Formats: sequence, structure tokens, C-alpha cells
Amino acid sequence: MADTILKVENLSKTYKVRKSAPIKAVDCISLEAYRGEILGVLGPNGAGKTTTVKMICGLIKPDSGSILINGKDNFKQRSAAMEHISAVLEGNRNIYWRLTVRENLEFFAGLKGKDPRAIKKEIDYYIDFFGLGTKKNETASKLSRGMQQKLAIAVAMVTGSELVLLDEPTLGLDVKASYDIRDLLKQIAAENGRTVLLTSHDMNVVQDTCQRVIIINSGRIIAQDKVSNLMRLFDVKAFKFVAEGRLSENLKQALTQIPHLALVEEEVDTIITLNLEEPRNFYRVVELLGSEDVSLLSINRQELNFEQVFMEILGRSENGGEKMAAL
Amino acid sequence: MAKKWLLFKQLAIKSWIMFRRYFFNSLGGIITLYVIFLVIFLGYKGIAGLGPTDQYLSIEGILVGYILWYLALAAYQDVAYTIQNEAKQGTLEQLYMSVHGFGWVIGFQQIINAFYSLLIAGILAFFLMLTTGKWLNIDLLSLLPLLTLELICFAGVGFALGGLMLIFKRIDSYMQIVQFVLIFFVAAPPSNWLLRLMPGTLGASLIQKVMNGGEALWQLAWQDLLLTVGVALAYLLLGVAIYRICERKAMKSGTLGHY
Repeated sequence: MADTILKVENLSKTYKVRKSAPIKAVDCISLEAYRGEILGVLGPNGAGKTTTVKMICGLIKPDSGSILINGKDNFKQRSAAMEHISAVLEGNRNIYWRLTVRENLEFFAGLKGKDPRAIKKEIDYYIDFFGLGTKKNETASKLSRGMQQKLAIAVAMVTGSELVLLDEPTLGLDVKASYDIRDLLKQIAAENGRTVLLTSHDMNVVQDTCQRVIIINSGRIIAQDKVSNLMRLFDVKAFKFVAEGRLSENLKQALTQIPHLALVEEEVDTIITLNLEEPRNFYRVVELLGSEDVSLLSINRQELNFEQVFMEILGRSENGGEKMAAL
Repeated sequence: MAKKWLLFKQLAIKSWIMFRRYFFNSLGGIITLYVIFLVIFLGYKGIAGLGPTDQYLSIEGILVGYILWYLALAAYQDVAYTIQNEAKQGTLEQLYMSVHGFGWVIGFQQIINAFYSLLIAGILAFFLMLTTGKWLNIDLLSLLPLLTLELICFAGVGFALGGLMLIFKRIDSYMQIVQFVLIFFVAAPPSNWLLRLMPGTLGASLIQKVMNGGEALWQLAWQDLLLTVGVALAYLLLGVAIYRICERKAMKSGTLGHY
């Protein structure tokens, strides 16, 4: 059985708004994060991701529910719980811009009860790991946005916390910096055995880094599973045939008789998309095209990316669909 | 305990780095304070016919009052502005996630800030005395306990304002008003019970007696000393209580780190 580092049960939070109806930000959320995994928390704006993250960090008091970090209640046993958790929060600098890279790492280590002298090797390791070696004596204000974000994550790591929460870690970064962060996150989880819980709007980041995802909408979990399972769930099993030139009227008529088939004539080619509800239809299409010696330029399997899966899940939830979870 | 010492050390190192790295900014603050006093001093000298009548109106009285006002200002602003700056910098929530608890972080930070404030007040006092030619009685054994009580008292005011800042955020203009109210508190003679219970008023009068009147701590009325201790602790506890209430409210409304 997987080792649980974070256990959230029935977490709810409603914000009271003056002269307006209360906003239910989080509605009875339960989740678990296991040691060494990268767990993605996704959802549209206002879904309740940041509120959930901040409640886990003990920065927002939930109305009800419990949060256990390594078995410690984050409000009742705050000090013990905080030993196991670090966070890089979205919209915050999270580091002191007037301190150098090394000074930031040393200060925040002390804040987490670690003597910077005793963990000098770890500090040096993370400076190198995050590629900050040449900048270690520069103040954070002089670093690029990507470097600052790397430093903020390094600070979260150097404290030795087993659970690292990253709220939108690649937001506002250029492609190169975003890729660097993704690689580093994967290494962190794989080599250091840390658990990373990240929220992101960037589905490429999630697809690339997370083993498991939790999708939240309107404060509720609408899906939680492994990324691969969710992808499989929405695997359309469709094939796209690109035929050279135009097809004869007879052939077009015969093809369109086949269920779940769409035919589009483009400028020079004809595109046939077949949703493979019945596998034998695939052979029927090939047979019909072969009967008129149609030249096929390509046959490709259509695949959804995680962004489309996410939108599909969101769409179904908004249309009152069932919760998609293999819990 | 070792972990608490570690926290204190890290906060002290951070403050020292900031002080050293932005020394000219700190120096600018001292020069500004000196120039303001110079204006007051020259204005005082320029008013013909105004003879010093008591310890509060003499140049020595003004000098002591000015230093006390600076200390009061520093003590309350340190707390409130530390919280505001951390929120602005986006590091307040990180401090809240400390294993020590934010109370220890801000408490230790205040002790460190108080040390810097006393150091700056000492430097300022030296130059002010040099300028005015009036040398005050610097009896550290008598002064340090009294000054510490003054700092504790005004830190209480700072905690209350810091708490309000967590909820209302933009209260800078009220902070400006408070600094003028503080002039009244440190300058007013504790002539009645109400004034004696005001933050810092009785303590300021005792410091006047030491610095200006040449009295030692043990020569002061024990009832006054006791009341000064009581008032300082009462304002600190009240300030911390207000801070805690505001903090809980900010945590409930999710606005702790917002600015």
C-alpha cells in the first residue's frame, strides 16, 4: 500500500462576502498524496485550487474537515505539521529579493528549524541542482524570472520538507525555463523521494510531470486518477484517412453509410475520419477505398492530448455528468 | 530551545545583512531625523523671550522628548511595517509556515529591531547633544530598563495596528496620524490618572527625570515604576490580543498574505 504523506478529508470552505451571497470555494474535498509522487491539482479559475493549497499550508482556516500532513493535523499540531511541508505560492515572491541566493536558502532553512551550517552540503547541492551556481552571491532581485522561480523551489526543497506544494510553478515563465522546471520536478520526485503537489493551468506541464491528477470544478473534485487512466478513459479510437484527390459520388455515398464516419473534401485531398466504435468498420473503409484504387496519402490514429481530456471532463461535469474517478 | 536560538540567529543575520547592504538608506533616515531636530532646535532658539519654565519646555526636555518620540515611532512602526512589508514582498505566508510559529518570528524580529532602534537613538542622541551643547545624563543602568518598557508598550500599539493591517490592508494614512498622537503621549506630563495610563506617557516622564533631572532608577517612585511596568505589559498584551483576533479573521477570510 502506498505511503500517504497528505490526507485531506471532507474539506470545506465558504467565503462570506459583504452584501453578496457567500461563495463556496471548496466543497467537501477529500484527497491523498503519496510519498514520491507528483500530484497535479487542476481546475479552471475560481475552482478552489489555491484555497485548497492554502488550507493545506495552514494559511486559510477551513470551515470543516481535516488535513493530516505525515499524520499531523496542520492546525492542531501546527509546528509538527509544518516541518513536513513547504510551498511556493502563486502571486508571491516567496523569497527575499534583497538577499542573495545563498542567504535566502540559509534563512529559510533556519525558519524550518534547520541549522544552515549543518546542512551546508544540502544548500550547495540545491544551488547546483537548480543551476544557480554562478548566481549564488547575486541578490534575488537581479535574477531572471525563471531563476527566481528556481530559487523559490530550491528554498522549498532545502528545508527538507517531504511535501512540496507548488501553486502554478511555471506561470509567466518562458518555454525554456518552463521545461527546466518540469525536468527538475521530475528529478525531485524520482531522486529525492519528495511528494510534489502542483497546481497548473498548463496541461503540458501536468501531462509531462504528474503521475496522478485531481480535477476540481466549483470547489468539488470531479475526477481523480492517474493521467494515463484519464487519457484512456477519453481515448476516442479514431482514425484519420487522407485520400489523394476527390472521391467519386458513388464512393462518397457508400462511405457515408458507415456509422461514425465524417468525410470532408479539402482543396486537393479528402479527409475521412472514422470513430472506431465498431472495429470492422475500419476494414470496410479500406475495402471501399481499395475498390476504386484510391491513393491513400496517410492513415493516422487520432489521439487526444491532456488538454482535450481536461476540457471533456470539465464539460461533462458542467452538464451534470458523473464524477469520473477511479478512487 | 536550540531551534528558537537558531531562528533568532537567522533573523539577526538577515537584519544585519539588510542594514549593512542598505546602510546609506539607514544613514539617510538618521540624517533626516537629525535635520528635523535641527529645524525644531533653531525654531526654539529663534522664539525670543521664551524662557524654559520646566523640564518639558527646556531644550533638554525637547531633546529627550524627541529621542523618545523616535523610539516610540520605531517600536510601533517596526511591528506594523514588518507585517506590511512581508505581505508586500510576498514572504509573510512563508513566515507563517515556519515551524516556530509566526509569534516567535515577529517577537524575535522586534527584539532585534529594538536593538537597532536603541543603537540609532544612541547615535542620534550623541549628535543632538553635540549640536545643542546640552549633555544629558546617560545612566544606562537606569535608562535601559525604562527604555525597554517604552519599547514594549509601543510594540503593543504596533501589534494592534499590524493586526488591523492584515484585515484592512491600506491603513497607511492612519499610521501617519498615530505618529503625531505619539508626540502627545511622550510629551504630555502625566498630570492625571488618565494620562498616566496612556501608552508611554508615564515612562517618558520617568526617562525625562533620569536624562534631564539626573535621577537614578532607584530614586524614582516605586509606584510609578510599577505602574510603568503594568502599563507596558497591558498595552503589549492588548496589542497581541488584537493582533490574534485580526489574524484569525484574516485566516478565515483568506486574506493573510494579500496586499
